[in-house]
Amino acid sequence: MQGSARLAFTLGILFSLPASLVLADPPSVSTPQVPVAHSLASFREAVRSGGPGKDGIPSIEHPRFLPADKAELSDADRIIGIHHRGQAKAYPQRILVWHEIVNDEFAGEAISITYCPLTGTALGFKRGDTELGVSGKLVNSNLVMYDRATDSEWPQILAVAIDGPLAGQGLEELRVFWTTWGAWRARHPQTEVLSEQTGFVRNYRYDPYGSYTPLSGYYRPDSTRLFPVMHRDDRFPAKTEVFGLRGAGGALAITREALREEGVVNVTLGERHYTVIHDAGLDTGWAFHNPANVSIRLADLEFTAEGIVGPGIESLEAVNGFEAMWFAWAAFYPDTALYEGGEAP
Amino acid sequence: MRALLRVVSSLLSRPGTASAVGAIMVVYALLYLWLTGDIMGGGHGGWLALFPAWERLWQTRGPLQFEPVGLFFLGRLVWTFSPINTLLALTVGLLIGLNAVAGWRVWRSPRHCSLGAASSGLLGSLPALLAGGACCAPLLLIWLGLPFAGALASLAPMLLPGAALLLLIGLWGMARRMAQVDDS
Repeated sequence: MQGSARLAFTLGILFSLPASLVLADPPSVSTPQVPVAHSLASFREAVRSGGPGKDGIPSIEHPRFLPADKAELSDADRIIGIHHRGQAKAYPQRILVWHEIVNDEFAGEAISITYCPLTGTALGFKRGDTELGVSGKLVNSNLVMYDRATDSEWPQILAVAIDGPLAGQGLEELRVFWTTWGAWRARHPQTEVLSEQTGFVRNYRYDPYGSYTPLSGYYRPDSTRLFPVMHRDDRFPAKTEVFGLRGAGGALAITREALREEGVVNVTLGERHYTVIHDAGLDTGWAFHNPANVSIRLADLEFTAEGIVGPGIESLEAVNGFEAMWFAWAAFYPDTALYEGGEAP
Repeated sequence: MRALLRVVSSLLSRPGTASAVGAIMVVYALLYLWLTGDIMGGGHGGWLALFPAWERLWQTRGPLQFEPVGLFFLGRLVWTFSPINTLLALTVGLLIGLNAVAGWRVWRSPRHCSLGAASSGLLGSLPALLAGGACCAPLLLIWLGLPFAGALASLAPMLLPGAALLLLIGLWGMARRMAQVDDS
């Protein structure tokens, strides 16, 4: 009887403990630089439980890294790469699929690397003096993060808090690259790689949703999504990968085929000119605001570890862009411009 | 309650019924652990056991889902081992095994009671058995990628306690019936 009481007491204490450590300061916030197509109340109504509870998908708080030659990755394996403050790091998709957030540091600057497997999106955020965690909630199938300072909730793609004390404020983004290990290592030979010694026990050789090499399961373009969306757009199969950018002029999605074929895509959104340049090495885009509408020629450009170098690049302002599954992009940005090649929208 | 304990004791003390209960328990536990993701593919052959995270023994990752503390590499399979998840799976498996074998015994005793009573004894175990399966049903739907699986995800916290409760009620009902059969 005493044992039962002790067990009940222990379980009571365990379940009543806060799931995360509360820190002192909020993450970096600013007035959002990105469009918010739905009202915050609509986003809050659209939030769904993803199954696991708060921190049920645990973020990595003390990441360890290996040199590139110690990585057990094949060239085709998907990674999320970042080059910041002179450091290049790669985060294998097969590790992030189990954690979704890595709270890391680059030369003293606190950065969160985030990945949502259900929408195929990878984004980096400055996190100030706190950490980001996985809330266990989803909106448009997209990871809803929370910050451990204020408990505000931030859908990853939106990068704007929809609930909590910081509702309506935005996170400051950093460009991260959704590419392959072979491509990343060729661009950044000195890169480090996130180790499987995460502090948690997971089967890092197995992706519960499917596979990118070869493409299968949830990641197939024509496979069905699991959760409802705020806006449905069937112009492409749900999981088709597009390159998206959003800025003061609105949101734009470019098909991978159009970006690969055209090399440089110039688009006007509202009053603003944007230029997206295809990086064949990493097979991704670099997005820029092009206020002077400068003409950029792909043949004149060089893609280096530090970024793009070439005539006209210095007059451009970098805009964050990232790959996303079409259904999720269209759900967050129902009025998105779409570029499929040929005439500009 | 006394009837329930007597039936459980009776089922577990006979080698034949105890083996049947044990087999059902183990099969269900393995199925549960597979559907909840503790056992999955990804192994590269060979056998290995590692226990690097005992400190996470009581840490939860979801409603009645606990953090693994170790890894078993079993050929092509990998088992991220949580003693608590395994204990929960075995407990529900035991209840299902007891329900199934008790239901079978009631059904196999027609000469002591009417056909109607025997049939209802077996039927009485069905809701409980279905409840045991319900633990895994939403997970199976998610695993299969069916679109309405997401709507069921929020039910997950209630499924395991609900199933255990129904299984206990089913077993208690069966125990009463078996006591009546024995008395007649």
